[in-house]
Formats: sequence, C-alpha cells, structure tokens
Amino acid sequence: MYWVSVVTEAAIFAILALGLDMVWGWAGDFDLAFYGYLALGSYMTMVLTIGKPIPPVSYIIGWRLPYPLALLLAVAAVIALAAVIGAIALRNLREIYFAVTTLSAVSALYLFVENYTPLFDGYNGVYGLINPGQTALNLTYNGYRIVFLGVVLVLLALVYLTVQRLSASPFGRMLRSVREDEHAAAAYGRGVFSAKYRAYLFGAALAGLAGGLFAVFISAFNPSAWTPQELLVIYAAILVGGRGNPFGVVAGVFAVYIGFIEVTRFLPSPAARPEFGPALRQVLIGLLIILVLKFRPEGLFRERLSRDRSPQ
Amino acid sequence: MSTFLISVGIGLATAGILALSAVAFTLEYAVSRVANFAHGELLTIGAYAAYSGQRLFHQNVGAAALIAAAAGLVAGLAMNAGLIEQFRGRSATTVFIATLGASLVLQNLIEMIYGAANVSYSFSQGGLHHVGPFLWTTSNIEVIISALAVAGLIYLLLQRTRFGKAIRAVSQDRTLAQVSGIPARQVVMGTWALAGAIAGFAGFILADTIGTFGPGLGFSFLLLTITATVAGGIGRPYATLGGALLVGLVIQIAGTYTSSAYQLVWAFALLVLLMLFRPNGLFVQRGATAVRA
Repeated sequence: MYWVSVVTEAAIFAILALGLDMVWGWAGDFDLAFYGYLALGSYMTMVLTIGKPIPPVSYIIGWRLPYPLALLLAVAAVIALAAVIGAIALRNLREIYFAVTTLSAVSALYLFVENYTPLFDGYNGVYGLINPGQTALNLTYNGYRIVFLGVVLVLLALVYLTVQRLSASPFGRMLRSVREDEHAAAAYGRGVFSAKYRAYLFGAALAGLAGGLFAVFISAFNPSAWTPQELLVIYAAILVGGRGNPFGVVAGVFAVYIGFIEVTRFLPSPAARPEFGPALRQVLIGLLIILVLKFRPEGLFRERLSRDRSPQ
Repeated sequence: MSTFLISVGIGLATAGILALSAVAFTLEYAVSRVANFAHGELLTIGAYAAYSGQRLFHQNVGAAALIAAAAGLVAGLAMNAGLIEQFRGRSATTVFIATLGASLVLQNLIEMIYGAANVSYSFSQGGLHHVGPFLWTTSNIEVIISALAVAGLIYLLLQRTRFGKAIRAVSQDRTLAQVSGIPARQVVMGTWALAGAIAGFAGFILADTIGTFGPGLGFSFLLLTITATVAGGIGRPYATLGGALLVGLVIQIAGTYTSSAYQLVWAFALLVLLMLFRPNGLFVQRGATAVRA
C-alpha cells in the first residue's frame, strides 16, 4: 500500500507539472502562483463535498455535491482566479517582474486564507473528504486506494495525450515562437497576450484538477500544505525531466518523487532533531536545481522542436 | 498622542530596516543584473551569526552587530563567487531560478545547524521614549539612526570615492567599464561584500526588533524587500531608499487601521499595483533607462 500512495502522489503532481510546463516550458513565463491554484482546487473540492461546517469550524459554501461535480466546479473556480492574476501579470510583465508579481499575488492569498477564518477555517484548514464514493462502490479502504490510483492514472494519461497533441499543434508552436522572440511573433501577426493567457488558463485548470485529486489523496487541507517552497520541487522535476517536453516532464516528476524523495526518506534524522531529515532533503533539492541549471539546462529529455519541412 | 503618529513612528523603524535590506538587494541587482532570491538568507545568516556571537560577547549589541555584518560580508562574497558568477551570461530567469535553489539550500542548512525552533537574543529593548510626536523604544531609535548612518555612508561611497564611481560605471555597462580599465570583476566582488555586510547587519536589527526568529526570517522579509526596491526603482540605490520609506509607512499605517495580520497583504497589493502602473519605480523618471528585463 505504501507504493500505491507514492505512485498516486507522483501521478497527481505530474498533472500539475504538465500544466506548469505549458506556462514555463512553452510560453516561457516563470510563474510562482501555481501552488495557489492547486490549493484553491483542493479547498473548493473540500467545501463543495463535506457539508455544513460544525462550529467552531467555519468555511464557506458547505454543500454536499457528488465528487465529480465538485471537482468540475473547483476547476472552474481556479480558472476564474487564474483569469484575474493572469490578466494582471501577463499583460506586459515578463521574466522576474512576472515571477515577483505572481509570487506576491499568491502570498497575499496565502496570508488572507491563513488569517481570515470564515473562508477556509484559517490555519486549521478544512478536512473530512474521506474516500468519496467508497460505500457506493462497495470497496474496502485499501481497494478504494487502488481504484483511486487507477482513476488518477487514467486522468494523467488523458491529460498527457491532450498536452502532447497541443504541444505539436499550431497553438504549441505559436507559444514557443512567442517564448523565443515575442516581438518577431507579434510582427507575424500572433496575439502575444492572448496566446500566453490561454496557455496560462489551461495550465491553471490542470493545477486545479491536481488540487481536487490531491484533496481526496490527503483528505484534509490547510495552509502548511502549500508553502511556496513546495512549488520548487515541481520546478526541479520539470528541469530534470526536460522543460517543454511533456514526456520528459512526466518522467522528471516520477524520477524526482520516487527516485529522489523516497530514497532520501531514509536519511538519518536523529530523534532529538526531527527536522534534520526533511531539511537535508530540501538542501538536496536546491542543489539539484542549481546543478541541473548549470550543467544540463535542457534536462534528460530535450524539447522536441518542429523542423522546417518545406521543400528546399 | 494619536494612533496615527505612533504608527508613523513605528513605520519609520520598519522603513529603516527595510531600507538597509532593499539597498543591499538593489546593489546586487545593479552590478550583477540578478534579482537575488537568496538575498533573504544573507539577512538570516547575519541574524544567526549574531546569535552565536552573543555567547562570546555578553550583552554587547555593538559586537553582535559587527559579527552579523562580517558574516553577511563573507556570505555575500561566497554567493557571488559560487553562484552568481557561475551563471554569468545566462538568461535573467535562469539566474533567478538558481538563486531560488540557493535560497532553499541555505535556509535548510541553517535549519539543520540551529534547528527549526525559534530563538531570540537577550538584548534589552530599552525603555519607551517620547521623541517629538513619536513613541519609540531605545532599539527603535538605534535602528533609525543606524539606517540613516548607513544611507549616508552609501551616499558618500557612491558619490565621493573611486570605488563608488566604479560601481556606478559597472552597473551602467559591465563590458564598457571593463574596457575603460575598471577591474569589473573586483568591483562586482566588492559590491557583493558591501551588500552582504549591509544585509547581515539588517538581519541582526530585524531579528532584534521582531524578538524571536527562525530559519525563515530573511525569506519572509524578502518580498517586502522586493516591494520596497521595486517601489523606488530597482538598481537605483537612492530611489530604493525612498521606496523603503514609502512601503514601511504604508504597511504600518494600513496595518494599524485594519489588522496587523493583514500588513503584508497590503504590501503585496501595493507591489501588484506598482507592477501594473510603474514597473520601473516611482522615483525613476519615465523614459529613463529601462530596467525591464
């Protein structure tokens, strides 16, 4: 069962990474708000399925919708948030200005969620989404976890195939041309903002989907689950796998999550210093980012660029 | 004694710390064209170095401040040589991501050494003083005076010394400075040493003002630093000082009238607004050399 949970987590983060890679790998925008989209997806899925809050717990909505419907609504909410942040940040901010703006947007959101308890119960967060549909499907706890893994893998495959098609489509090529030279792309009649904006909304939708799945996976969500540092692991995975190459991104997530995090789980962590092991793991992730950037910035699997097939 | 004036007074103390941190950040940007996301860790290193040092020099604030600045200086030099220079010539975003990685490494190394639990200094904050319309503790006053002193020294350094002139030349165009006979590499190194020392000192007074601090001290101050820098004008030391004053006052006053928990929310909202309307900074003339990457 341990491996079922590890693979489920990696598959959920692969969906998030595919969305993030559209924004960073294809369109070239280094976004730091993405974990906020995962978080909103999780929160919304929770409050739409777990019913009315019992005081002193407080949160908004509190419906009891069936899980798939809640998931759809959560993704819609995430797209709405990304539409606002993207409209502000993508209009004419690039590179570090874009990164700083998205980071401050998500930090403001984080502080607000943490302090304003009527929204998602502040620091305590929301919980109670335990295996939706388990009784309806008449499954044991472990059986449910395996079925859930299957569902996540099917969704990952669907997302992967869609992203792969988009990657080779005129839209994917346009995004890359915008990334390489915005002015040239604009001069050839490409709508730079609209291209980046559409990629951003699509990527955010995938982050929201990952959030909704993550809600089932951990069945509780609070601010400590989405500190800004978490996103760096995803960036490290994309870097290792190969920025801009969907296959590389999925491979990178599995390599970093399973190969790296699971191996470093066995690092020494003295009983008196429980934070030692996790801190060492973060150090290694930071080093991994720096070393890959320095020595192999294209990652394990190079981005496949379309070739000029016109007759010579 | 009005609430407004008290919050202005505390805002000035916040602005003092912010000014030091932001000036260091802007100097790093000026010579290396990098938004250094590991800048916060220079502050943290300074704060923890002073924490270790206070065991050796009991209750001596001056010695603790010097140790913090020295540790920051060494860390700044190491960061430039070990990270920034290694990524010279790469795209701004690449260097930026590398500094993000470095921030993760340093923050967690500090956690491994000192533990995740918060620590605090044993220096006294001193009594309360009425100065004109303001109400300050002794350490508030020390913070404001030292910020003014550092700002004055930076002004003299940049305007009156050969080193300062070289910094300004390198920040305009490193290659051009190099071919004009300015040892650009040494100037960049010297600037990082200076920025590191200022940041280390800022980390110490920040930690002393807050009271207790942990390995995330500098990182949580980073966005505020960036807000102040961008508000003034990134890469421009004097404009940055103005930005720090503005941001320090805005968050303190807005925080007093809403809730202190939302102080930072105001700062980030301000940053987003600035990014939308004046990304080159408030105190930079329109049409001046664009620093937009």
